[in-house]
Parts: sequence; C-alpha cells; structure tokens
Amino acid sequence: MVQINLPKKSEIKKGHYYKDKTGSKNIRKVNIYRWDPATGENPRIDTYEVDMDNCPSKVLDLLNKIKNEIDPSLAYRRSCAHGVCGSCAMNMDGKNGLACTKPHSEINGDINIYPLPHLKVLKDLIGDLSTLYKQYESVQPWLKTTKRIDDTEHHQSKEDRSKLDGLYECIMCACCSTSCPSYWWNGEKYLGPAVLLQAYRWIIDSRDEDRKERLKKVADELKLYRCHTIMNCTNACPKGLNPAKAIASIKKMLATS
Amino acid sequence: MNNNPLSPHIQIYNWHISSLVSISNRITGVINILTLSLICFWVCMLLLGNESYESIFNFLNSIFGKFFIIGFVWSYSFQILSEIRHWFWDLGYGFELKTSKITGILVILGSIIMTIIIYSLRGFLI
Repeated sequence: MVQINLPKKSEIKKGHYYKDKTGSKNIRKVNIYRWDPATGENPRIDTYEVDMDNCPSKVLDLLNKIKNEIDPSLAYRRSCAHGVCGSCAMNMDGKNGLACTKPHSEINGDINIYPLPHLKVLKDLIGDLSTLYKQYESVQPWLKTTKRIDDTEHHQSKEDRSKLDGLYECIMCACCSTSCPSYWWNGEKYLGPAVLLQAYRWIIDSRDEDRKERLKKVADELKLYRCHTIMNCTNACPKGLNPAKAIASIKKMLATS
Repeated sequence: MNNNPLSPHIQIYNWHISSLVSISNRITGVINILTLSLICFWVCMLLLGNESYESIFNFLNSIFGKFFIIGFVWSYSFQILSEIRHWFWDLGYGFELKTSKITGILVILGSIIMTIIIYSLRGFLI
C-alpha cells in the first residue's frame, strides 16, 4: 500500500543540540536520526557541531568521532570500513550509500544522516533487515547441481565466467532495495533489487542446473514485475552495480524462453 | 517489533531524473485515460445536438480550456516519449546510469518541444 506519511509513532521530533566544545573555527552541523527503544518516545533528530579540522574524510569517520568524543550513546553498524562488508549502509544527504566510502566533503550544507529508508528501526541508525534476508534465502543463493563430481572443480569458460561480472560483487548492503519506492510500498511481497540481482546471479551461472526452476519461482506479478524501472537502485549502489539491468535481464529471459 | 518506528522514506529521499520521469509516466497515464474519456464524452454529446456540443466547445475555448488542452497535449507527448524509452529498456538497452539520465532528460525536453509543435500546428492538424 502506498503510504506517503509516516505513522504517528514514527513522526520525527526535534532533539538535542550538542554545541561544539573544542573552540574550532571549522565547524559543520551534523543532523542524525535517533530512536531509543528503551524510552518509548518518538524518534528525534539530534544536531552535533563537529570540529572538521580533526576529522578524517568519510562519513563513518564523522560518526566515529561523534560517538568517541561527543555522544557515546549513538548506535550504528560498522565493521570493515573499506566498502566490503556493507554494514554501514545508511541514508546520507538524501541518498543511500556506505558511510565508510562516502566522503563528507561531497555533501553541501548540513550533513543529514538517517537509517536506510522504510525499515523498522531497531535503534538510531540501525534498521531491521530480517525481511530482506528471508527473501534472500527464498531465492536459494547457492549452486545447485545433480552431477556431483568428487574432487574436481566445476569448469566454467572465461566467457561464462564473465557473465557473473557486475553481479558477484554485490555485498548485500541493502542500499538498493531500501531506495526503491516499489519496495517501500510492497516490501513484503516484491523481492526488491538486491534479492533479484542475486537471483539473476544464480540464474545466469553456467554451472547451475536449476535455471528453469529458478526462473519459474521468480516469475510472479509481485515478486518480479513490481519493478517499474524507477532506477533508484542503480543510482544508490555503492559498488556501482546495476540491479535494474539484472531485473530487466530476468524479465527478458522470461519473455524469450 | 510493533512499537518500532518506521524510518523515513519518501520524505527524505532525493529525487533523481529517472524517478521523476517514472512517476510522471504513471501520472500522465492516468490523466490520459481521464481526458480520453472526456473526448469520447464530447463526441457522444454531438448526438444530442448542437447545444450540448457547444457547451464543451465553449469550455475548451476559454482560458481554462486552453490550459487543459495544452496540458493534455503535453501529457500525451510525455507518455509517448517515455514509452519509447521503456521499449528500449524492454529490449535490454539503456540501463547504464549515464544513458538513463540522458534519455530521461530527452523525454522531459522532448515532451515540451512536442507540445509546442503540436499546439502551434493545431490548425493544420484539424
């Protein structure tokens, strides 16, 4: 269902203002979405004044600085800090991305940071991705083969291998799926760009023997065809992949097979 | 889990050319159905005689009516160009970020140019 407004409990209130205490002249304001499950209050936007002279280049560095030096209660996910694990996916300056690869110098004006859009918030910048993981499981993202050849590799020509380029790099950070309006309104049923790109990754794998079944499973009005080529997914992908094209490839395979 | 708030979505997400063209494609689609019905209604009015035909004729000749016609021409131009873009997509072309941005801009500019051309040629077309 298309729901433009946020539910009452999710409406965002004005929060605390943390004034700079370092006396720095190079200050930027950072607005961060906060919600604490312990208080039961509505979410709020806290504003932090950050000394940019002593802050490394990425948005994740900025968050670390705030957590270490200003407000230790701030909660967010992060792990590798090199754009490989996908933990620090969030909405920065109105666009999804990885905090560890997004330079804050690319953002003009105040820096606005929100959790990934249209998710149940667990705390502050942490959204609940369990629906997405369940959908990921449903496409059975593993190699299926009946011809079991012990002790030997599954051979694949260079050409067949190259079909996986632009697909295998996906780190499942959910930036694409949570940027998609179709996924916002139909997230329970529509698989979303991330999961469909993964589905295509196994459909197109020359070693997999389950292509027909996989295609049949995904060929559904809601699971697949809720993609209306809005292209927010491709715009958001921090790895430069193209989920919209992968989804179109599945549609094309279904139309021509 | 029911008490957890929903993170903001359309309220905070930036618009891109592609998302703008996509939503406009849907809106113009709905407008086209409504205006087509109106045109059919107008044609039916012909059967009821001169007077009923004239009431719509007068409406379309008023300032509001002219605005309505220009809007309708734009809506159709936009839909046609946008659907051509969709055909290419269905064939598997034009998904690169840069290409989709350029084609999106072409659809927007093209629809305006097409509106001007069709509207200024309306005397010849009828």
